[in-house]
Amino acid sequence: MSYLLESENLVEQVKAIPGGEMLMMCYSCGTCTSKCMIQEKLEPNYNPRRLIRETVFNLENMAFADETTWLCTACDLCFPACPQKIHISGVITAVKQLAVAQGLKNPYQTAVVDVSTCVACGLCEQVCPYEAVKLVEKKVPFRGLITVAEVDPGKCMACGMCSAACRSTSIRLNQEYNDAEIVQNLWSWLESEAMA
Amino acid sequence: MVDAARQPLIDIKAYTEVEKVEGFVGNFKVTLREKAKYVRADRCNGCNACTVACPVEIPNYFEMNLAPRKAIYVPMSQSVPLVYTIDMDACIHCYKCVEACGALEAIDFSMEDKIVEEDYGAIVVATGFGHFDPTPMTEYGYGRFPNVITAMEMERLNNSAGPTRGSFIRPSDSTRPKRLAIINCVGSRDKRYNTSCSNFCCMYAIKNALLLKQMHPDMDISIYYIDIRTPSKGYEEFYDRARESGIRFIQGRPAEITEDPDTHQLFIKSEDITLGRVIEREYDLVMLNQAAVPQPDQNHMSTVLNVAQSPGGWYMEYHPKLRPIDSPTDGIFFAGACQGPKDIPASVAQGSAAAARASRILHSETWQIEPTVAVVWPDRCVSADGKACGICERSCPYGAIDYEKGKAAVVITAKCHGCGACVGECPHDSITQLHYTDAQVLSQIHTLLAIEPEKKIVAFRCQWCSYGGADLAGTSHFEYSANERGLRVMCSARMDADLIYEAYRLGAGAVLYSGCHPQDCHYITGQITGAKRAARLEKMFERLGMSPGRFRTEWISAAEGEKYARVINEMQAALDAIPEEDLKAEIERLKPEMEKKLNKLNDIPGVEEAMIQVDFIVNEMLNKEVPV
Repeated sequence: MSYLLESENLVEQVKAIPGGEMLMMCYSCGTCTSKCMIQEKLEPNYNPRRLIRETVFNLENMAFADETTWLCTACDLCFPACPQKIHISGVITAVKQLAVAQGLKNPYQTAVVDVSTCVACGLCEQVCPYEAVKLVEKKVPFRGLITVAEVDPGKCMACGMCSAACRSTSIRLNQEYNDAEIVQNLWSWLESEAMA
Repeated sequence: MVDAARQPLIDIKAYTEVEKVEGFVGNFKVTLREKAKYVRADRCNGCNACTVACPVEIPNYFEMNLAPRKAIYVPMSQSVPLVYTIDMDACIHCYKCVEACGALEAIDFSMEDKIVEEDYGAIVVATGFGHFDPTPMTEYGYGRFPNVITAMEMERLNNSAGPTRGSFIRPSDSTRPKRLAIINCVGSRDKRYNTSCSNFCCMYAIKNALLLKQMHPDMDISIYYIDIRTPSKGYEEFYDRARESGIRFIQGRPAEITEDPDTHQLFIKSEDITLGRVIEREYDLVMLNQAAVPQPDQNHMSTVLNVAQSPGGWYMEYHPKLRPIDSPTDGIFFAGACQGPKDIPASVAQGSAAAARASRILHSETWQIEPTVAVVWPDRCVSADGKACGICERSCPYGAIDYEKGKAAVVITAKCHGCGACVGECPHDSITQLHYTDAQVLSQIHTLLAIEPEKKIVAFRCQWCSYGGADLAGTSHFEYSANERGLRVMCSARMDADLIYEAYRLGAGAVLYSGCHPQDCHYITGQITGAKRAARLEKMFERLGMSPGRFRTEWISAAEGEKYARVINEMQAALDAIPEEDLKAEIERLKPEMEKKLNKLNDIPGVEEAMIQVDFIVNEMLNKEVPV
């Protein structure tokens, strides 16, 4: 079982990242899981408590493969309910950052930048609630060394704020809910309303 | 209660408040406020006619406000003494009760509170605990949803003398609930409200569940818990019985209770930890097992009794393991949950123990204390010259020092436990501690550092922990540097800065400042006082340019012999790392600094003579040939 391969110091690594310090205080009461909207509306197997357990036992592969790592939106509904005052989304983000640092890709949504059209206006950087978008200087094919926006997949929660704010449609989510799709959905909904 | 009332040597003072406690063990002077009942105890026969006549109805706190009571009342029918009381906040002065009382003439509206002063030899505090109000935990809806009740309300609903005469009904529609949920740890083990575990709730939930299951076998009962804690004798068997009888135990702390507003049915959402899935279940009635918290007036009583409080607000015992019944003040004892949440067997045990402890005082003519008490030199105390000081009073963990500006500080000997914190803290050396006077300790330092002082490690050890640790290192044959010279004082708080300066002035190679771990201090806050001073000293020596490792602070318990040996060896290694010439040069460089700090040392009574004598004796001994 490759799942049970333990990492030496996952706990220490998570605790070193701001937000993950309180990890070991969890006594597994399950309040976070039963508060969670993602668990309720989207993915019944989603379970922050289980992710914390996996992290506590240094089960790195298991934690990185857990959908909980990738689906959290940091809405922080669980944080005020936690009797141990653990910032759960902080722990999840820390695990996610470690996973991304190991080269893992988010199997679900994440924002992507179209560097061929980005004008580096910085709107996306301003609106991002998770500080996941930064303006960086880098080499872009056909455009040379210029400043463009870059998404940190370890921090991105796929909320789509950047996509909505962008004036040159250069940043969007990589799977669903791109501008064209939303506009089309909107039209079809309007048409059905008009027909009724 | 009735038995206690009949016992001629027991005087029950009900409806009485303690206003002031003065004095010390064996000689407490207690000021009591006997509140006016407006009913004369010598005439009232408890016939209840006044209560029947009274037209005022207000919520009855004894029934958790589930039933009304009158303005003239007894809290419950078994009250001892059975004397009625008029609640003047509710009374409308219609005097119907006076009419009803008739020829007995027991009701007297002219009564007033009486202040009385009584002498007592010992005091047992048994003020109990309060209940956490779950209203702020909005997720459980207490106060919003009629069918969410607390454990105490449930206790009254299920009581045959309670408001429903023992028929167990739910508040919204007075029907008998079929599905009942009990939620544990409401407000306890919760960093947002009370961090600690309330001790008895697990058993309490199981007891209530079993009781209801016996009366109503068809009732479906679930207990939500984080951990079930059944540590005492017979408790686990009780838990077994509950599972056997069909009570469902769900591990998982409920996140939310929602209600159907039409039927007032409740829905509890929680994760079932064992399934790893979120479950939502429907219930007719939900009981919250709320946390046990200190009484609302516990802070006030702690100042009246001059008894410290532990974190969380409970009264603090003398020592959590060895003296859990005694308060830090001699002659004051704790019984029951006022000292920390505990269940009935533990409360009864502590109550009996407290009574035994108290009777020890009542049956002795004299009371022995440790002889190491503090004594003030009134002529040296700056407070007598009208200067504001009071440092000794603030440093005393027992409130044994009376400080008043304009008068020399006074040590109440019977309250003093002999830690020496005041002696260490006094900036004017106006207090001394018998058997550990400055002259005595300085003589020891002089003797220990008589030969080759730069090679020596002077280890200041506290009597209770680090001295024991050193002892254990010896008896366990742990090897440590033979250059260590141990020196015992009662507490790290007694390790006066002057003593450490003197050691360095005499050329000591290194000094260890050791004592108990903060939670183990035998003198409540002594270690804290000592640790603050050690931190101050460390900073100062660093500023003076002392080599690192020559002054070290370590907290070593009596069980840590290995640590004591390790610390001394590490200090020896640090000392060895400094070249001898450098060390000697450093000692010479720091000598004037130390002398500057010690310029008033010889003013302390007895010190100068002691120093002359000890130096004479040491020199005599060194000149003599030692017989082999």
